[in-house]
Amino acid sequence: MLMKQYELEELNSRKRYRAVLLIMLAALLGTLLLSFWVGYYPLTPADVVKAFLRRFGYQGDVLPQAVTIFWSIRLPRILSAVFIGASLSVAGATYQSMFRNPLVSPDILGVSSGAGLGAAIAILCGMPGWFIQAAAFTGGVTAVALSYVISRKSTRSQTLSLVLTGTMITALCNAGVTLIKYISDPNDVLQQITFWLMGSLTKTDMDAFGVSAIPMAIGLCVLLLLRWKVNLLTLEDEEAVSLGVPTRRLRLVFIGAATLICAAAVCLGGLIGWVGLMVPHMCRAIVGPDNRRLLPACAMLGATYLLLMDDVARTLLSMELPLGVVTSVMGAPFFVYLMLKRRVV
Amino acid sequence: MLLEIQGVSGGYGRREVITDVSCTADAGEILCLVGPNGCGKTTLFRLILGLLPATSGSIRIDGNDVSALQPNQLARLVAYIPQFHAPVFNFTALDVVVMGRAAHFSAFEAPRQSDRELAFAALEKLGAAQFANRPYTALSGGQRQMVLIARAICQSAKVFIMDEPASSLDYANQQLLLDTVEELAENGYCIVMSTHNPQHPASIAHKVLLMRDGRVSAFGAPDEVMTPQCLQAAYGVEMDVVGVRDRYGAERIICLPVKRRGSAEQNAAREDLE
Repeated sequence: MLMKQYELEELNSRKRYRAVLLIMLAALLGTLLLSFWVGYYPLTPADVVKAFLRRFGYQGDVLPQAVTIFWSIRLPRILSAVFIGASLSVAGATYQSMFRNPLVSPDILGVSSGAGLGAAIAILCGMPGWFIQAAAFTGGVTAVALSYVISRKSTRSQTLSLVLTGTMITALCNAGVTLIKYISDPNDVLQQITFWLMGSLTKTDMDAFGVSAIPMAIGLCVLLLLRWKVNLLTLEDEEAVSLGVPTRRLRLVFIGAATLICAAAVCLGGLIGWVGLMVPHMCRAIVGPDNRRLLPACAMLGATYLLLMDDVARTLLSMELPLGVVTSVMGAPFFVYLMLKRRVV
Repeated sequence: MLLEIQGVSGGYGRREVITDVSCTADAGEILCLVGPNGCGKTTLFRLILGLLPATSGSIRIDGNDVSALQPNQLARLVAYIPQFHAPVFNFTALDVVVMGRAAHFSAFEAPRQSDRELAFAALEKLGAAQFANRPYTALSGGQRQMVLIARAICQSAKVFIMDEPASSLDYANQQLLLDTVEELAENGYCIVMSTHNPQHPASIAHKVLLMRDGRVSAFGAPDEVMTPQCLQAAYGVEMDVVGVRDRYGAERIICLPVKRRGSAEQNAAREDLE
């Protein structure tokens, strides 16, 4: 009797979850179309389809500019927004569960500021573009590795010591960036550094996207495949170990995956804040805290959200706004609203 | 013997908290750990659960040396039931119970339908099935404790470690918990529980381990250990142990602290003794 009732409730909640995912998918597809459409040179849905088919031998009437804009400008930019939004949100949800703290964002271990420092050093040395990307990626990974290694020396609980060392490494890297900005030439290098650190997808092209997409895809796959195990890390450490969970190893895997994602995201789009903090909250309010449902929902909503924000950045004013500024300006008040409604935090 | 602890010592870093502790418990038995705060009960638990390495001696569960086992192997032998807690995220009760299956999964495996049925059956056994779909954080302390016991059943371990399971429960839930523990023992589980209330071992234990300053102060059947002398030695409080019959004629033991500010006759008698 009870079992039947439970099964019924369970079935209903599963149906509801599937419906939610379908709606999110539809929203993502709609936003994709919208994103191809809007911009300095509007492409109608018909143009989009034709330009897309052109690559595959279609001979219809479509302006060559439309084809170029579709393939070389809009597509890499849209793909970047989708990938960055999805993977940052999934990484954020994982970290929030893992650190048992709903206010944690994916750069808590210093990956963004480490990447910023790497890029700043490379720019200061006058290195070419691809080298700056590589330096940023290396800087991000190194910062997290440092946080991890230092935290291992502590006898406190691992999650607490990780957060503490991560904060410290972040502060150090930020100090380094400030110092480099201070000593660099304000007419050239300083501008370049400032622009690089500002989150923006203006300069993405297919090559940059291709290189960054690989680590992001790997990180995303690992987190999605292991998503039930993320639940286990929300328990107290000793409790999880007593359940047979190799907590340290699992945590290392999650940190590795999230770091790949964040470092690649920074390389591609600079510092884009708030996405990895906010989207998991919105999704938790919709599908609940079980990471088996939360992470796929985060991937969908995160992609849609960042794509929309990028559309706003492109179209709100006659000039482009930095994406990082838009996500913060739109994100922070929305977060306050969610918090005051007490549905989420 | 299901659980054999022989001459175990251990602690944190150089500080030895537990010295030369030996005790045993078999399937179907309740072993109660009694002793003042800081006597090493929790440390002994952490040694049994493999969370802390023993510096000497050995702990065997079902013939396996604890120190030689991987976490997931150990988790199939011994389950830890913490005091009920408030987690950050509000999983449903069944989600929490299903976590007990973790030790039975490979790297990318997640619970299936059969695991959820197992979890539901465990909740049902404890009369907690109606909470299955409720958020864990919305349950009362007693209900959460039942969910955590169900998780241990789901883990399919034979030995249950319970760290002061009754201490933050109200009176009715304490009794319910003790009944549940007795029932688990009847079903063949070996229960090791710590408690601050000497009445608990007096009511349900098959064996009692009395600890003081990290050493065994007494170990044996309740009627050997729960004597006024032993309890007084462990707690430093004057104790009386009284045998009575309850309304159905069953023999019961009651542990009473002796009143320090007693009646005039009591005080006179005490002075005479001293």
